[in-house]
Amino acid sequence: MRRGAIIFSVIFLLTTLVILPASKATAAKPVVIGVPTSLYTPFGRDGLKAVKLAVEEINAKGGVKVGTQKRPFKVVIADTRGGEPSTPVHDALMAYERLITKEKPDAIVVGAFRSEVLIAGMDLVAKYKVPQLSTIAQSPGFQKKFMKDPKKYKYLFRVTTDALVDAAYLNNTLDILKNKFGLKNAYFIYQDTLWAKAFSGLMSRHCKKTGWKIIGFDGYAAGATDFSPALSKARENKVQLIGMVWDVPLGAGVFAKQYAAMKVPALLIGFIPPMASPMAVKTLGPGVEYSMSIEFPVGASLPLKKLPKTGGFLSKFKKKYGSLPEAAAVNSSAYDAVFILAKAIERAGSLNPDKLAAALEKTDYAGVSGRIRFNKQHIAVFGTKDPKKEGVCVIFQWQKDSSGKLKRVPVYPAFLAEGKIQLPPWMKK
Amino acid sequence: MSLLIYGLINSVILALYTVGFSLTYGISGLANFAHGALYILSGFVAWSLMNTAGLPFAVSGVLAVLITAAIGFAFYWVLILRLRGIPLAELIVTFAAGVAILELMTWKGFYGLRYSLPVFVNGGVEIAGVGIDYQRLIVLASGLVLVIGLWLFVHHTRIGLAFRAMAQNERTALSIGIESDWIGALSLAFGAALAAIAAMVVLPLGVMESTIGYDVLIYALAVAIVGGLESTLGMIAGSFLIGYGQIAAARYIGAKWMVIVPLAAIVFVLSVKPSGIFGKFKELEERV
Repeated sequence: MRRGAIIFSVIFLLTTLVILPASKATAAKPVVIGVPTSLYTPFGRDGLKAVKLAVEEINAKGGVKVGTQKRPFKVVIADTRGGEPSTPVHDALMAYERLITKEKPDAIVVGAFRSEVLIAGMDLVAKYKVPQLSTIAQSPGFQKKFMKDPKKYKYLFRVTTDALVDAAYLNNTLDILKNKFGLKNAYFIYQDTLWAKAFSGLMSRHCKKTGWKIIGFDGYAAGATDFSPALSKARENKVQLIGMVWDVPLGAGVFAKQYAAMKVPALLIGFIPPMASPMAVKTLGPGVEYSMSIEFPVGASLPLKKLPKTGGFLSKFKKKYGSLPEAAAVNSSAYDAVFILAKAIERAGSLNPDKLAAALEKTDYAGVSGRIRFNKQHIAVFGTKDPKKEGVCVIFQWQKDSSGKLKRVPVYPAFLAEGKIQLPPWMKK
Repeated sequence: MSLLIYGLINSVILALYTVGFSLTYGISGLANFAHGALYILSGFVAWSLMNTAGLPFAVSGVLAVLITAAIGFAFYWVLILRLRGIPLAELIVTFAAGVAILELMTWKGFYGLRYSLPVFVNGGVEIAGVGIDYQRLIVLASGLVLVIGLWLFVHHTRIGLAFRAMAQNERTALSIGIESDWIGALSLAFGAALAAIAAMVVLPLGVMESTIGYDVLIYALAVAIVGGLESTLGMIAGSFLIGYGQIAAARYIGAKWMVIVPLAAIVFVLSVKPSGIFGKFKELEERV
């Protein structure tokens, strides 16, 4: 009896041990998504949150179908610190490469924060043949480099906007300000980085072409903490409009407070994250009133009545993480990118990078940020006309509602507008 | 006119960054490379007390200064005591502590668009056609009060006189009963408190990020090296030289050159007069 019990126990234990790994082996192997980005920036952190949200939704439905098998997504992360002014491109790329070689992701989403890292990293991605859906860096330098060797860089895609799109929205708004309100002189201040220089350069050139007088075009180092020289010059020259493009929170925050403190009687427009953030009033005070900012693309932080998908994504984000994303940029692109990837994997029926890249080229996805399709340069097509045909952005202005509370009101384009541009009382003749 | 006014404000901000660093070094010969980290740490302590404990800014600010001073005091007994007298080891350990504080704050989530201290008074005035906010006037006043207060403190209080005795000759100070470790710890505590006071008046001008700690350290080093590491007069001269230099460079050469000015000043001064404008550390070698 005793002997039988011992034999039974041994057989039971051995069988269990054999079965356990077997059952593990039959579990579907996850599809690995790499997120190498600058995690200690609002863009990187909230981009990752958006990716995790999308992954959770897809996994809740059983995962992504690769051939005949449904497999879950798994997210692996590397902090490149590429968004911090003191991080050299080389260091960011090392973190990027380490993620690719160590974690062996099947695809990369979000990607580089700084355009300098994105462009330098294109060779890295091409070398390791990992399909990448980039959702932060905004320099048009991406497509320039892509077109030099489309075959080599075929694994690279940009799901979000670029500075050309952002500038087009702001330029159209500048036209309205000129034609409707008679504003005619402008001062541009930009962070001395690739995308911001390109962005503000496009705005400045447009102004020159359309008859604006450009009083100043100043690039400040990304770590700058005093803007009094430019703001004083703007004040002395009675500038009517200040165009500002900046993404490092520290400098942008100092600028936003200094602009209000120095009482520069000019309308502020551009991309200034602390001023565009949902928490701007709490952080910077009532001085944000009348400032105008672009949100690229739609759905990054502002729910739009005319595009219900933006509200859907943002309410899910708020429910999961307790608050809206901080930055008015690129979060919806990170969310869309995961679904675009999932659909491409299903179309390809494989994780083979060449097949996946070919499937990504055929993307036609109605996402939070509008309809996403890639052009020959592998960048998502964005425009100013119709979210059913292309990806779109929005310009909003901080305005007081009937109860006196400051709110972000979409003012351009017309198909998204919920209010009209207001000129500050100190600018009215 | 704006060059004069904003040059002055920039200079006073630099002096506020440096005063604590310079005081600690002047008294105990200790280069506290965690100075910038303590500066921004005090800002986040104040923010946390306001937003989690619900305390008003005035109370949070005072508590933040006291807590930062206590951290500086503890630094001496925990990190410095066993390394005392080995300048390179002191420098490395304080730098490492500073980096650890800054990285810890980043890891704890102190970055982004939400961290900002409120200004003391909203609004501003116009001086000779130049718009200036009250907070910057408070910065100017704080700089003035701090310099006068420090002078009175080191000349008319027992601790202040002990500080001066230590600064002049540590062995003689020991022989008359001044305990050098206590004075060393107090010098670090005072330096940390001064960094925190600077943070309470300067940080409301913008938003907060842990990377500010590195900038403050670089500025403090630049001002102290240019003016003379141990000299109060040198610290003021260094602040004005770099402060006005930055604003003038932005106005007449290009805004991006602002960040180059302090670094260029360090290189220039080190190659021409290594002790700094009013420093005496290498005076003899320089004469020879």
